[in-house]
Amino acid sequence: MSSVTEKPAPPPATAHAIRSADWLRSVLANQQFLLLLALLALVAYFTSRDSVFLSSGEIAAMLTVFAELILLAVGETYVIISGGIDLSVGAIAGFAGVVAAFAMRDMISAHTSEALVLTVGTITCAAIGIGIGLVNAALMNWARLVPFVATLVTLGAATGMAIVLSGGGPIGADSAAISLSARRIGPFPYLALVVIVITAISGLYLHKTRYGRFTFAAGCSAFAARAVGINVRRHLTSVYVLSGLLAGLTGMVFYMVLGSGAPTSGDGAELTAIAAVVIGGVSLTGGVGLITGTILGALILTVVQSGLIISNVSPNYDQVAVAACIAVAASLQALRPAHRRQS
Amino acid sequence: MTGERQPLYEARHIDKNYGSVVALSDVSMALYPGEVLGLVGDNGAGKSTLVKCLSGVHNPDAGQLLLDGQERHWKSPHDTIEAGVETLYQDSGLAQDLTIGSNVFLGREKTKPGLLGKLGFLAQKEMEREALADLERVGITVPPSKRTVSQLSGGQRQAVAIGRAIAWARKVIILDEPTNHLGARQAIEVLSVIQAAKEKGLGVIFISHTLPHVLEVTDRIVVLRLGKVVRDAPTSEFDTESLLGTITGLLDAA
Repeated sequence: MSSVTEKPAPPPATAHAIRSADWLRSVLANQQFLLLLALLALVAYFTSRDSVFLSSGEIAAMLTVFAELILLAVGETYVIISGGIDLSVGAIAGFAGVVAAFAMRDMISAHTSEALVLTVGTITCAAIGIGIGLVNAALMNWARLVPFVATLVTLGAATGMAIVLSGGGPIGADSAAISLSARRIGPFPYLALVVIVITAISGLYLHKTRYGRFTFAAGCSAFAARAVGINVRRHLTSVYVLSGLLAGLTGMVFYMVLGSGAPTSGDGAELTAIAAVVIGGVSLTGGVGLITGTILGALILTVVQSGLIISNVSPNYDQVAVAACIAVAASLQALRPAHRRQS
Repeated sequence: MTGERQPLYEARHIDKNYGSVVALSDVSMALYPGEVLGLVGDNGAGKSTLVKCLSGVHNPDAGQLLLDGQERHWKSPHDTIEAGVETLYQDSGLAQDLTIGSNVFLGREKTKPGLLGKLGFLAQKEMEREALADLERVGITVPPSKRTVSQLSGGQRQAVAIGRAIAWARKVIILDEPTNHLGARQAIEVLSVIQAAKEKGLGVIFISHTLPHVLEVTDRIVVLRLGKVVRDAPTSEFDTESLLGTITGLLDAA
């Protein structure tokens, strides 16, 4: 009968040696491991420049920056693994923050309790994110736009609407939200902990559930997914809705950190999110990727950006540093033969 | 061949047009349990269109499809799969970056028991294990590893794709060019897997351009030309030359 095993097992005497060589090779070829090494090296370098880098306050500041980035990057991870791209996430965050800020400003002036204000704000942000995610899906399903164009449309629309609504300036002045976003246990801001929990659940969902499996399948081959009866169109709709939801929640994170809804708060955030995903080794052609890669990518970007500040480098170099990270990570991946696809 | 036996899967008077192009015109065919039916024809003869109608990708414009004597109206490929009809498409239908086990169970994943399962959490280890057993049952041995399909050779991939289809098929399996791009040895392996499907009592529809394979593995051959059935006869009535002549139409002219 047919057999797909072509290589015979190595004889027992050499098996052990081969196994340990394999082990070494697989560790070195393990991208997640290399990313972790890079992260630790960066942390060690910046700490050696200034030990304040590992102080409680600095870690808390970095985790807050991380919290502003990671949900966008997680949503982008789902979308890119599904074979698409979502350019609208930063704009969604900015727009959602502005709209929610209007609602919250009125409630604050009516002396509503802060807990209720933030709950309403969060729900508003989530609803707007879901709504724009649905618009993205509608543009793809009905107007037949490719993801790049569809989300470019909503990127422009949401950015413009945020400026029109707000008149260009920040909405509200919620000092209670700022102080709440700064509250922490040790170096861990509560806000970041909530975001980390959402990230962990999203990651488990991507890698351990049927929903996540369908996301990978759609990205590998929409044809193959359809052939086994997966409703690919419906699934992709839900992926863009999920990405929109996470972006909307990021709008709430921005609001809490800034104490206001600023229309420009999400400008360019989609590119940083995509950068984190790319550095994390998620394939832009879809079907391949790990959430831990995205998390490590986002951590590396956060550490580099904070490290530059610590080192008294002008923040104007941020973009250059991000670009350098992408260039290094992406070329390392391209050079690794193990990762190349056959056909 | 008709006798008093009921066909497993039957197409009656199928028409299918794409705009003004007539792809299928009054096509009828019947497949019986444990039978391997060859479907041959030149490019553009309508083989792929017929496969798409049979597998629920397209709806015929006119005519009936009967599975086990019951008329069916497929709304999607999912319907046909549910009904026990598996299709293996040209260029296989595998998700290259997923493991062998994930591919075998793609679209019908097993979930963990209890609450986690209700939340959609997968019983991945169980699936990997059962996938190997399922493939072995139809004569395909794969290394028990977390290897992705992209790391297999062309022949191995095709074996996995066919193995998956046979493992899941309860009634009919449609194989569209399963020996394409395969070396001679691998093609023979595929043909032996088809024999295993036949012995399982499945009806097999085998579409191929490789006439020696068709003559070797099928019991009966339906020849399509320009969207019409021009010949439906036991394989024993054909040899390579007469089959080729029927496909091209040169035999009629002679």
